[in-house]
Amino acid sequence: MITLPPTEHDLHAYVDLRLSPADRQRLETWLASHPEEAAQVKGWQKDARLLRSVLAASPLPDNPALDPSAVRQRRRHRYQQYLGRAAALVLAVAVGAVGGWQARPGVAPMTDALQAYRLFAEKDVLPADFKVGAGDSVQPWLDRYFRDAARLPDLERAGFKAVGARLLSTDQGPAAMVLYQDDRGARVTFYIRPPGPGNKLLPRGSRREGELQADYWSGPGYNYAVVAPVEVAMKGLQIPL
Amino acid sequence: MNDFDDQLRTLLPRLRRFALSLTREPSSADDLVQGCLEKALSRRADKNAEGELRAWLFQILYRQFIDSHRRARRYARLLEFFTGRDDYPPSAERTVMAQSALQAFDRLNDEQRALLHAVAVEGLSYKEAAQVLQVPLGTVMSRLSRARQALRLLHEGEIQRPALRILK
Repeated sequence: MITLPPTEHDLHAYVDLRLSPADRQRLETWLASHPEEAAQVKGWQKDARLLRSVLAASPLPDNPALDPSAVRQRRRHRYQQYLGRAAALVLAVAVGAVGGWQARPGVAPMTDALQAYRLFAEKDVLPADFKVGAGDSVQPWLDRYFRDAARLPDLERAGFKAVGARLLSTDQGPAAMVLYQDDRGARVTFYIRPPGPGNKLLPRGSRREGELQADYWSGPGYNYAVVAPVEVAMKGLQIPL
Repeated sequence: MNDFDDQLRTLLPRLRRFALSLTREPSSADDLVQGCLEKALSRRADKNAEGELRAWLFQILYRQFIDSHRRARRYARLLEFFTGRDDYPPSAERTVMAQSALQAFDRLNDEQRALLHAVAVEGLSYKEAAQVLQVPLGTVMSRLSRARQALRLLHEGEIQRPALRILK
């Protein structure tokens, strides 16, 4: 039950049809003799009607994207993408852990050079950072990253030409791999990286791992390796060292 | 589950209109509705009555609007700092289809538009409106009073645009 004169709250409740029928009746009677408040209420009613007619009746263009089933589908899709990304992250961490373990002292020398060959030369997983065009040479590119390093081996006599190069990161520091190719598509890589925090230099050596042979040595400032398929290495690359 | 979808479908036009009142711009209104539906579907409502569901959805939508607005305003301030621009104009589409009533309404501030839409257009109770806007009932009443007075003045053409800034 409202009291008269009404509060402003009561007047709004009247406009919004929130009064009981009895209160409504009493207020209307009161408004009949109070023109100022009556005019105010009338104005509010008029505004509300106008808003209703304009806002509630405005035509809405169809938007199929808003259908609940479409929204559901998008959510599912995003969730799958999220799972995919999470899986990729786990995989990357696993590879990093294995790689890190491989690079520990006691592990066969220049294992990372062989891994790089498998990943980038055999499988073409990632594009090259540097592609050798006509008249280009890899040497200046390499010199930008590795100061005073040994010159790239000239494998021309064995029929191999440098075609591209890639920068890599390893536990020992930044590395680079230069890819050589001959007319038949056989591939050889030249690998260079710092000796690492332990400054571990390698005695000159060679070893085989599966189909690949790695020849490695330490030179000015860096460790080096040339990785080639065993049959290519057997014929001799005549690496001038 | 499909029952819930059907309920959402029924309320969709209302949601879109509420979003339009808030954003004043059709495409961002639908973005807002989309975000609201995603939230609603992920939260799994146990609202049975349609009125209850409507207030709940309106609340989600309003919350999202406020959050995105806060971000946008922060960005706008930054932009203003660099470009010296201060107001982003209402969309052309909306202005074209707007009648004078809508123009006055569009000039109200966000809270006033939200409240008037909920109460006057949707017919939500004051209690439901308080739930949607996440404010106490008393605040709803005082805001409603101010909103109605502001709209009245705008309709009577007593307030020019610069003064409105102060109203905010």
